[in-house]
Amino acid sequence: MKRLPYLLLTLMLAACSSIDCPVNSLVESLYEVCDSTGQNVKMLDTLSVFTTNANGEQVLLNKGTGLSQFHLQVSQSHPEDILVFCFDLVSVQARVTDTVWIKKEDHPHFESVDCNSAFFHTITDLKCTHHYIDSIVIINPSIDYNYETVHFRMHI
Amino acid sequence: MFRGFAVSFDLVGAGLLLLSDAGQYEGALRINLHDEWFPIVELGYGKADHMEEATQIAYKTSAPYFRVGIDRNLLKDKHGKNRLYGGIRYAFTSYKVDIFRPEFSDPTWLWPVSYEIMGAPCKHHWLEVVLGLDAKIFGPLHLGWSVRYKRRLSHSEEGDFGNTWYVPGYGKYGDTRLGGTFNVIIDI
Repeated sequence: MKRLPYLLLTLMLAACSSIDCPVNSLVESLYEVCDSTGQNVKMLDTLSVFTTNANGEQVLLNKGTGLSQFHLQVSQSHPEDILVFCFDLVSVQARVTDTVWIKKEDHPHFESVDCNSAFFHTITDLKCTHHYIDSIVIINPSIDYNYETVHFRMHI
Repeated sequence: MFRGFAVSFDLVGAGLLLLSDAGQYEGALRINLHDEWFPIVELGYGKADHMEEATQIAYKTSAPYFRVGIDRNLLKDKHGKNRLYGGIRYAFTSYKVDIFRPEFSDPTWLWPVSYEIMGAPCKHHWLEVVLGLDAKIFGPLHLGWSVRYKRRLSHSEEGDFGNTWYVPGYGKYGDTRLGGTFNVIIDI
């Protein structure tokens, strides 16, 4: 009888289970905005980013202002994402667009049957037009759950 | 010194396999050294075939595993009919997993997405600390219980796809580290 509480505690410990899904389960790319010297700067102009899906135009970033960094979604399983960057120039009330093509490899990632399916990505190539963007450089080609790793440096 | 050996079969693992979608068949061979030390080899075959309704992810694996170790009779009367064991095990399994989700749409791009990891080879090494009871019923027949604390030593998953969920012989990794067996034991 004296040992019963200890036995029950042991059984309770054995019965406990946990779901260890990552707190941040978003897999997104992180762009850093830089000037020609490589210094991180805040954009004065407004940025919107679009892509195209079966339903037409899809907004990925809607009128971001004062951006020095921004996250963008990555398609889960497709060899190339095509993004349209639309810059609304504050000084002359005009819009300039650039197209960015991102080639990647997609790797299915598994944590547990209780956690939603996810893909990690390896960027293999990137090219863009240069109407507003000077260049985009791949800093870290691996896109995973790490929310703070800069993947691309966009020079304007 | 040598006082015979015993074979046993675990009913908990077999029951789990019957009543759920993960479990194992496990037997053991225990050598009796002077009713005090008992080297033991446990061999088993673990299986899991599970579909999680919430995430629609299916997980399938099956593989043999083994544990080797030694138990010590902790009772003062070493030669009595019943025994209280304390022991340690080293365990290993090499297994392949199939992880699959039926085709679904990318939430933003709406493209069809295929999610599968098929036949990925994995390895798992772990230690167990065991506390067990062995009670003589009649003749050579004993019944035994054990509680085990498991600790992973090392693991590898080829293809670097992340973690595994059910490991044959270990159970669901990430879940509780405690496990148990209920054995039918025959003295030979």
